[in-house]
Amino acid sequence: MRGKILNALLARMKTDERLFFLTGDMGINLVEPIEEAFPKRFLNVGIAEQNLIGVAGGLCNMGFLPVVYTISNFLIHRCLEQIRDDVVLHENKVILLGTSAGFDNAPLGPTHHIVDEWGMLKGLPGIDVYATSSVEFAEKALDLAIAREKSAYVRIAKGTPSIPGADGDFHYIEGQPGAPLLVSYGSLVQECLKARQARPELGVLVMNKLHTLDAVKLSSLLAKHERVLVVEDHFPTTGLYSSVCQLAMEQGLSITVQPVAPEGYSLKVGQSSDFYHKLFSLDAAGILDRLAGSPRKG
Amino acid sequence: MTARPNLPDPADVRRTILKILFEGQASHLGTSMSMVEILIAAYGACDVGAIRRGENGRDRVFVSKGHGAACTYSVMHHFGLLDAATIATYHKNGSELAGHVSHAVPGVEHSTGALGHGLPVAVGAAIGLRSKGFDDALVFCVMGDGEIQEGAVWEALMLAHHQKLNRLIPVVDNNRISSIKATREVINLEPLADRFRGFGFAVHDIDGHDLAALTGAIAAIRAGDKPSVIIANTTKGKGVPFAENQPIWHYRSLNKETYEQAVAALKGDVS
Repeated sequence: MRGKILNALLARMKTDERLFFLTGDMGINLVEPIEEAFPKRFLNVGIAEQNLIGVAGGLCNMGFLPVVYTISNFLIHRCLEQIRDDVVLHENKVILLGTSAGFDNAPLGPTHHIVDEWGMLKGLPGIDVYATSSVEFAEKALDLAIAREKSAYVRIAKGTPSIPGADGDFHYIEGQPGAPLLVSYGSLVQECLKARQARPELGVLVMNKLHTLDAVKLSSLLAKHERVLVVEDHFPTTGLYSSVCQLAMEQGLSITVQPVAPEGYSLKVGQSSDFYHKLFSLDAAGILDRLAGSPRKG
Repeated sequence: MTARPNLPDPADVRRTILKILFEGQASHLGTSMSMVEILIAAYGACDVGAIRRGENGRDRVFVSKGHGAACTYSVMHHFGLLDAATIATYHKNGSELAGHVSHAVPGVEHSTGALGHGLPVAVGAAIGLRSKGFDDALVFCVMGDGEIQEGAVWEALMLAHHQKLNRLIPVVDNNRISSIKATREVINLEPLADRFRGFGFAVHDIDGHDLAALTGAIAAIRAGDKPSVIIANTTKGKGVPFAENQPIWHYRSLNKETYEQAVAALKGDVS
């Protein structure tokens, strides 16, 4: 997914001279073609993320459209104040490309588990969040980010999952009337699709855009289901679960919404994301177990 | 101290600062007084007309120590960048002139207040200027000495040196007082010049209330090709005897009595 997005960016930079690529010393064997093609619009600021975002703010002052690339925890957590002050407050437009979402960097430990980042951005006005749950949406996420007036964060998961037709903000795979709906994004969509193979009556809602949500369109889909499980590799208190709960309240939906998500950090070593997906019941088996349980917490 | 005839008189700027601080019942007197000559020299080196017109290739002044808003707005006023009616609203309800500099005010490059933000942004602007071929444009960034305790400052300095940004001019208002104490009691920054030299910068370690020294340093940097820093050694509260070197005047606002005392003190030469 990273390569697809960066290749698309390289192509866009040929025609859009506003685009200026910045990396925090990340993207080996991916960013070099951009540097070679556009040395005056490429900058590796080094391992200094506060500076990374500040420099992006300065480039906005010069009329550039900075595209900032690094691992998501460094990109969001380390420099949240710079994002707030130097980007959002100034209504500067910056595209944040963050990699290694969720448990993609599994064995590197909890400092590299990115399960709490995009929810922080929900609290800042004007930033849209995309999750590129399908390779079909990868280039489109970049184009949408370039086209919009304000900043955007693209949460890039590993792999190139193909979900035919999933090239919009969301993609609805219809289930049987009254059956539960699984709402998910990123690599966990594949677990939801596996769960649906076991229980074909389930609906699946693939989210490519996490924030801001199209409340009218989404509520009409959610209303078709009495029970909704939000499956995410992000803390539910600030993640999509909370967004869906808010949307359901605002739209007056009579649905039960349940989180299937990590609710804390794990200090256990896992050699792949599968380990953590199983640990937090985020894999297909765990999702099916949750479906078999009570629709309510406790 | 000799003010160049084409530059505002520092004493006039200080009078304006006192007036808006008193009328707006605002704080930050100490820091505003220490940076007067620095900002006069910086704006004096810039093409102010290009700043007024918002030209893309303009020189830029980033005030990273955003709490120096009263000074910034007063200097801008004396350079014709801010009219009398607007500056009179400083720190008052409904005004866009808050206690930290705001980009809502035309001519202000960047809103600051959280410290350590200005230099990275200034570096980005300097890189952007060079990328667009505006190689001669100056980019000033005025920081407090307490502010440079922030790590982001040093991240930006490393990048500025690596990128050979020789038209970026970081200026440290070295008034030797941090927020509540002398910097030497909080984080001792000495040997400050050596620290900058260690990062590869040429250092102009000068009297920050000497306009001639400041303009000379700027001219030397402009004529040279090496990334440089100005350490402007100043006095916090300069020109207001009861506030000089007193940390409390970072927080306290003027009442009628102290305002009149301060104005009276300024009737003479502040030096």
